[in-house]
Amino acid sequence: MASLVSGWKIQRRVIQALMLRELVTRFGRENIGFLWMMVEPLLFAVLVGLVWRFMHGPEEHGVSVVAFVATGYIPITLFRHILGRAIRVFSVNGSLLYHRQIKILDLLLVRFVIEFIGSMMAYLFIGVILIILGEFPIPADFGKLFLGWILYSWFSLSLVLILAPLSEWSDVLEKLVPVTVYVMIPVSGTFSMVSWLTPDAQRAVLYSPFVHAMELMREGVFGTVIHAQYDISVPIGASLVLTLIGLSLCRRVRRDLVVE
Amino acid sequence: MIICDDVTKSYPMGTGRKQVLRGVNLTLEPGEHLAVLGRNGAGKTTLIKLIGGVEMPTSGRIRRHMTLSWPLGFGGGFQGSLTGYDNARFIARIYGLQYSAIKDFVEDFSELGVQLKMPVKTYSSGMRARLAFALSIAIEFDCYLIDEIIMVGDAKFHERCHYELFVKRPERALIFASHSPEYVREFCDSGFVIDQGMAKRYKDVNEALEVYSQL
Repeated sequence: MASLVSGWKIQRRVIQALMLRELVTRFGRENIGFLWMMVEPLLFAVLVGLVWRFMHGPEEHGVSVVAFVATGYIPITLFRHILGRAIRVFSVNGSLLYHRQIKILDLLLVRFVIEFIGSMMAYLFIGVILIILGEFPIPADFGKLFLGWILYSWFSLSLVLILAPLSEWSDVLEKLVPVTVYVMIPVSGTFSMVSWLTPDAQRAVLYSPFVHAMELMREGVFGTVIHAQYDISVPIGASLVLTLIGLSLCRRVRRDLVVE
Repeated sequence: MIICDDVTKSYPMGTGRKQVLRGVNLTLEPGEHLAVLGRNGAGKTTLIKLIGGVEMPTSGRIRRHMTLSWPLGFGGGFQGSLTGYDNARFIARIYGLQYSAIKDFVEDFSELGVQLKMPVKTYSSGMRARLAFALSIAIEFDCYLIDEIIMVGDAKFHERCHYELFVKRPERALIFASHSPEYVREFCDSGFVIDQGMAKRYKDVNEALEVYSQL
């Protein structure tokens, strides 16, 4: 028990130090630093939203096009970022592994936490700005929005826990990741509600845990204006299984890791 | 105490594996100064990385009953893109020390001056060695793992390392991988010779050097 407590203390210290280091190396001390994390998705949501607005009109299926794009784009950006930063993260950060108390899971978790918090701040920031501009509703149910966000993030993390160790074993994986992220857009729920699709397509996308989490988030934002379809046991079950597989793969890869 | 129990290590090579260490046994007591000797590629650095926990053994166990420094060598331990100060701050944090408590010692011992404000990737090996020793001495480990790098320092640096590690802290243990008989005699009292993946301990460092010179 005592060693568990001291182990936790050490890990907390390590994670704090790694977070500070990551923020400094990633965003620097100059310029607007951390704020870039919020500006980038804001620009995308606004620009794509405007393009869609010209093509589809200001509203589609009764919801603002700009708001719909923003609610889809911010979560998928979170997934893309944590995945992009996890590929070969262990060997790239080999010099950190010289310090025995730094575990490879710390490296993954720190990147995840930064993206998770940053994206949440981006969501809040964009939401407030779009509400002021009259392009975004006051969320109908914050609880559902938050729960959907947590489930989406957890599923993203569980996938990354598997892909990060696999990327150390296989160079091919690294090359396949960008194209796979594009191909998965239709099954991520980003640009369409399930109810807008044909019955066959609906059945297909409902296999994706991302879609359930996304529908839940959108119900949290738009309420009953949209017809959301979700079953939270899908993302929870999938994340649980993938997390366990991922943790054991991480353990396994540490044994084979060659540190320069 | 550090105990290596039948430690093996192999790396993937082509379709097969290269066996670097084939069953190494070692016990190190507090205060012992051990030289690790062997030809290039014999597995000295590998053994030090395993003891330091940087890499994991393929089989066997390593038990550590004292605090160990990270392997002080030509690579690893520092973030090249960060400055000397930022690295010092980071290392102090992860080892649970207040940076302000070790700042003066690090500045004084490393004698790096304004160069501490430059990224570590711009440092020469000698400068890296100064920073690594300054930090690891400030953190006060029970055992220091040194992979060659002490030799790149100048005469005054050696003198100060000698004073800090042996005169002020004689109870500290040391594992030192090196090719230099001169330094090995100066720093170590016993030797560990690695050849063909097997390792043998010699109580007398001169005997170990003699065996090593015959390889």
